[in-house]
Amino acid sequence: MTAFLRTGGLLLALSIVLMVLGNFVTPGFLSFTQVSTQLKISAFLGLFALCQTFVLIAGGEGVDLSVGANGSLGGIVGAALIQGQDSAVLPVAILMGLAGAAVGTVSGLGVALFGVPPLVMTLAIASIVNGGLIIFESIAQPAIATSPFLAQLAGRTTLGVPNIFLLWIAIGLAAVWFLSATAWGRKIFGTGANAKVALLSGTHVRMVKISVYAISGLIAALTGFCLIGYVGAAFLGLGDAYVLSSIVVAVIGGMSLAGGRGSYVGVAAAAILITVLTSLLTTMQISEAGRQIIFGCILVVFLLLNRHLDRAH
Amino acid sequence: MRALRHAGLLPSLGMLIVVFAINVALQPHLLTRGSLSSNIATFAPTILVSAAQAIIVLSGELDLSVGTGVSMLNCALATLPELVGWGLWPTLGATFAIAVMAGATNGVLVAYVRLPSLIVTFATSAIWFGIALFFRPQPGGSVDQVFGDFYAGSVWGVPIALILVLVALGLWSVLQRYPLGRQLLAVGGNPVAAFHAGIDVRWVKFCGYCIAWCFVYLGSLAISAQTLSGDSRLGLPYTLTSVAAVVIGGISLAGGRGSVWGAAFGAIALGLVANVIYFAGIPSIYQEFFKGIVICIALSFTFIVGRRKAA
Repeated sequence: MTAFLRTGGLLLALSIVLMVLGNFVTPGFLSFTQVSTQLKISAFLGLFALCQTFVLIAGGEGVDLSVGANGSLGGIVGAALIQGQDSAVLPVAILMGLAGAAVGTVSGLGVALFGVPPLVMTLAIASIVNGGLIIFESIAQPAIATSPFLAQLAGRTTLGVPNIFLLWIAIGLAAVWFLSATAWGRKIFGTGANAKVALLSGTHVRMVKISVYAISGLIAALTGFCLIGYVGAAFLGLGDAYVLSSIVVAVIGGMSLAGGRGSYVGVAAAAILITVLTSLLTTMQISEAGRQIIFGCILVVFLLLNRHLDRAH
Repeated sequence: MRALRHAGLLPSLGMLIVVFAINVALQPHLLTRGSLSSNIATFAPTILVSAAQAIIVLSGELDLSVGTGVSMLNCALATLPELVGWGLWPTLGATFAIAVMAGATNGVLVAYVRLPSLIVTFATSAIWFGIALFFRPQPGGSVDQVFGDFYAGSVWGVPIALILVLVALGLWSVLQRYPLGRQLLAVGGNPVAAFHAGIDVRWVKFCGYCIAWCFVYLGSLAISAQTLSGDSRLGLPYTLTSVAAVVIGGISLAGGRGSVWGAAFGAIALGLVANVIYFAGIPSIYQEFFKGIVICIALSFTFIVGRRKAA
């Protein structure tokens, strides 16, 4: 546990250093509104990375490339159903969560029962969901507006702290508790560490695997639903940007593809670090080309670092 | 027949025959020479990039950076002439050098530094995309028209695109008769056993990446000869398509089992599916959805057949 906190602490310290550095480059980078915006963006990134956290811990080279599609699903269909009305938010949120969980379950079934590699399975599911959303958008011409409550939740602050950041902390703590203190959470870790041993000691390994994809779909769809409150309206490809970045964040946060290891604390800190870094590069007016190259290099460096830390153990 | 089944080619061949029959039914002119050669010209980039992916998957790894790699090479081809004033040949040479360096970078990171290929090629794909954007922030530039005409032409009635594909796959078949080709499959099938048999596992995997990126280079040449311009987003779909073609082609993602020819058949089958969707008059809004469904059906088919064989 201390090791996990140490990684998280290191990443958080790095983000603070970057913020102070940013203030030298562009004065106002440390201003209240700027920091508040960063925390909001980190919250969405962190929630999508939470999806990857569950799937990665359960192991077997598990990654979920359908988080973007599920996020778009929650945003687009959610906006279509609430029609800008606050009264519909809660039932629609429940419905979207279920829809995301259903999509995740299909991926999970493919992975756990048919042995399709997670990468391929979730990519194929993502293209079906995205394709379905294209059809839905063009035929139904649905409402795309957010509702006042969602805008409040995703965009505004309480006592100076962004609401969505508070929600993120609550969900993050619940996830950490679920993974470390409940029986099912421990089964997820056990399955990731050694699926054979887990099976022999009575864990329903297949159920565990299906469940992590379902949880991932649920969180992704709900996050997409909240995202329309921040962006203002739903659009095709709403969640696309989060597919790559959520995996990057999870890996930098100390998750291993082999599974059975890592904590969400590190991942959350990595979400903040990546958000600060992105906005720093943007304010420094580095082109898209430069940002992509820097990102790729940073990911490689962190992979090397994680490897080095593993060896030290 | 047994040899085909052994190579896992049956599902992909079956699918190929079915979609080909549907194609002929929908589009009676398909079997004319002009139509066939324009089809093969369209499919060649996908076939070549899928073959590249197949080589890497056979060695037990994966490369998610082939798509942005194609973009990078395409942008280099279209931009180097105006950027440094090079002619066609120096541009082709420099682009080949970039391709081999990209393959070598992936190879070093995966084989020697031993980072997981899934994530590390994700990382390098961002770098290739950045380089593509550096060459071409906006789509544009131009590839020599001579090059395009050459690709669209034919020798003794055989389309250049077909010759390109056959020569590339033929070279691979020749390589399989030499130690390196066999070692690649051995390393993919069981790296520990391969190591104990005295094979330099790291070197073989590294070579696999380098050879594969020669195929990526050929694929980017084929696509650039058709578009005759540079676009940093051009190659992005190839990552998914190549992995799908490899899986449909009966190559085990665990490595060591399958044949590059299977990936080629898988790529042609996927291209013909796109044809069916187009010629059946399905509106473009349904295309993405149908493509996903077809890939899923092909996947379940492949995995169910594979399962029965294992049982």
